[in-house]
Amino acid sequence: MKQVYLDYQSAKPVDPRVIEGMTKYLHEAFGNPSALHQVGDDASDALDESRKSIAKFINADEDEIIFTSGATEAINMGIIGYALRNKKKGNHIVMSEIEHISIHNIAKHLERLGFEISKVPVGQYGKVNMRKLERRITDQTILISVGMASNEIGTLQPISEIGKLAAEKGIAFHTDAVAAEGLAPIDVRKDNINLMALSSNDLYGPRGVGVMYMQKKYRVNPIIIGGGQERGLRSGSEDIPGIVGMKLAVDIMNKEMKSEVKRFQGYRDRMIKQVLDEVPDSYLNGHPTDRLASNAHFRFDGIEGESILLSFKDLNISVSTGSACTSKTLEPSHTLIATGLLHEEAHGSLQLTTGRFNTEDDIDRVLEVVPDVVTRLRDLSPIYKKK
Amino acid sequence: MKSTKYSEKVLDHFRNPRNVGTLEGDDVAVGKVGNPTCGDIMEVYIRIDGEKITDAKFRTFGCGSAIATTSMTTEMVVGMTLDEAMELNRSDVADELDGLPPIKMHCSNLAADALHEAITNFRIGRGDIVAKEEKSAEPEPGCVVGQDEYLNKGVWLVVDDPPAFKDQRTLILHSGDESVETAIELTEQTDRVILLTPEKTVMTTPELEKRLEESSVKLLTESRLLEIRGEFEVEKALIFNIDEDEEYELFVDAVVIIE
Repeated sequence: MKQVYLDYQSAKPVDPRVIEGMTKYLHEAFGNPSALHQVGDDASDALDESRKSIAKFINADEDEIIFTSGATEAINMGIIGYALRNKKKGNHIVMSEIEHISIHNIAKHLERLGFEISKVPVGQYGKVNMRKLERRITDQTILISVGMASNEIGTLQPISEIGKLAAEKGIAFHTDAVAAEGLAPIDVRKDNINLMALSSNDLYGPRGVGVMYMQKKYRVNPIIIGGGQERGLRSGSEDIPGIVGMKLAVDIMNKEMKSEVKRFQGYRDRMIKQVLDEVPDSYLNGHPTDRLASNAHFRFDGIEGESILLSFKDLNISVSTGSACTSKTLEPSHTLIATGLLHEEAHGSLQLTTGRFNTEDDIDRVLEVVPDVVTRLRDLSPIYKKK
Repeated sequence: MKSTKYSEKVLDHFRNPRNVGTLEGDDVAVGKVGNPTCGDIMEVYIRIDGEKITDAKFRTFGCGSAIATTSMTTEMVVGMTLDEAMELNRSDVADELDGLPPIKMHCSNLAADALHEAITNFRIGRGDIVAKEEKSAEPEPGCVVGQDEYLNKGVWLVVDDPPAFKDQRTLILHSGDESVETAIELTEQTDRVILLTPEKTVMTTPELEKRLEESSVKLLTESRLLEIRGEFEVEKALIFNIDEDEEYELFVDAVVIIE
């Protein structure tokens, strides 16, 4: 049976058109962009072109794009690099409770280095509370970091408002755009974004490539020191095939994002309506309307997420869950807990995220089996009580 | 090793669990174990004839290995004497399943503990052994830390303006029928109303009990509110789970304490 993949938030396949366009740079135009001969020039031309396209994609300038080994590195540079560079101005950073786990771990690291971190709570649908954000700002605050959308529950954050507030207060604004890129237009000028992380894979480009956007006049300390590539901000020979891959992925996005997002919205709305209609004691996690077009996130009373995931695995359907039993720490998802769920509720969650290569048939397949999977596990459960 | 890298035997018991259900009768004992942190709750029922276990059933809320280990335990114990079953331990169960991922060896492998508890309960009932004394009477609940500090900043002693609770995650302490009624009324304003009680159920009038059951109010039983936390206003509640003897934080926007 064909594998139905509904976990696009965790990894995406590389678009075949991207693969086709990037292979040339693995063997023909393989040069080092720093080299002064023709092979080197071919590589540096490709690097320049890529930088230009990606800058345009987010309404930035070319010299505001720094290539990294992925979004994690971009986030490290954007937050840690900025904090270390600006520690004389203050030692306080504000972020949300539902940032990606990588940012929570960076926060712990910065606390050990002497920084103070305030985390802003979110409401029951996962939206950052602006009043609470503003009240946390002190004269020591140097940076606000709030992701564009939750990588788990898909709630979109009020990025424009946060950018405006940060600009008024003279505080740098960093956003992790990974969950939202390719699903919503990004405009760093309009939204007053000063630092931002992007990943190539989330645009259907190859993994191992990302971008840190840094607005002119903002400065960070480099995290990786070496031969001085990327204006000294990110040393190491540039991954030209990967970077070209990201550029090709952006080119495709420019043409196809609008229609693609409409298609995902259709899938999402169908999944949400049908699951909530057909499965008793089921709930939607995240915002009812302000959510990523690709994201449907449910919870079911009385059952546990890993069991849900295993059941789908047997049916050749790939899904994801916020249950503790699938996490490295055996703690339930911090995002679901931040929305106010109890542990037992967070355990019973199911995340379905769609993407470019899904079809209506895939949605039919998963919707057909959800009620049976839930019923079977509830029949085993000592805590499920029918209402 | 990945936490879901299961042996074929584990997967078989997950897909086709043996002995699902409950047992009833004077010759039946039940053991329940659970760990709220990793989210597994297991119930093992055994039927006993003299010294022998003649039947076993289970129900489990939990991950694949939690379901498989309880299923396997019920298979292993039928025919055993009580002494033999008391000797059966977690690693015997895991071995019989061709092993478990290391991270699942602890909290998803409590079936043997549930079995031992069932046997102990049976022996107590038969008078073989004396029950351990229950923990001394619970200490009188003191006042909630933060109640005064956050008064009117998310802590409310009366609800005179329900629309102000729109979309607020509201925690209500059960203090009598008025608090139950308030909880039900607030579901018109917000999806998230939690009624907290130290008891196993909410004691109220039959009429309110029925309305409560039909409402979207989430019950949080055997729990106490220890402390209210937040910057400037209510943001979190520190809850104590009496049964599990554990504390955890719950994100809320409002706490209603009707005295």
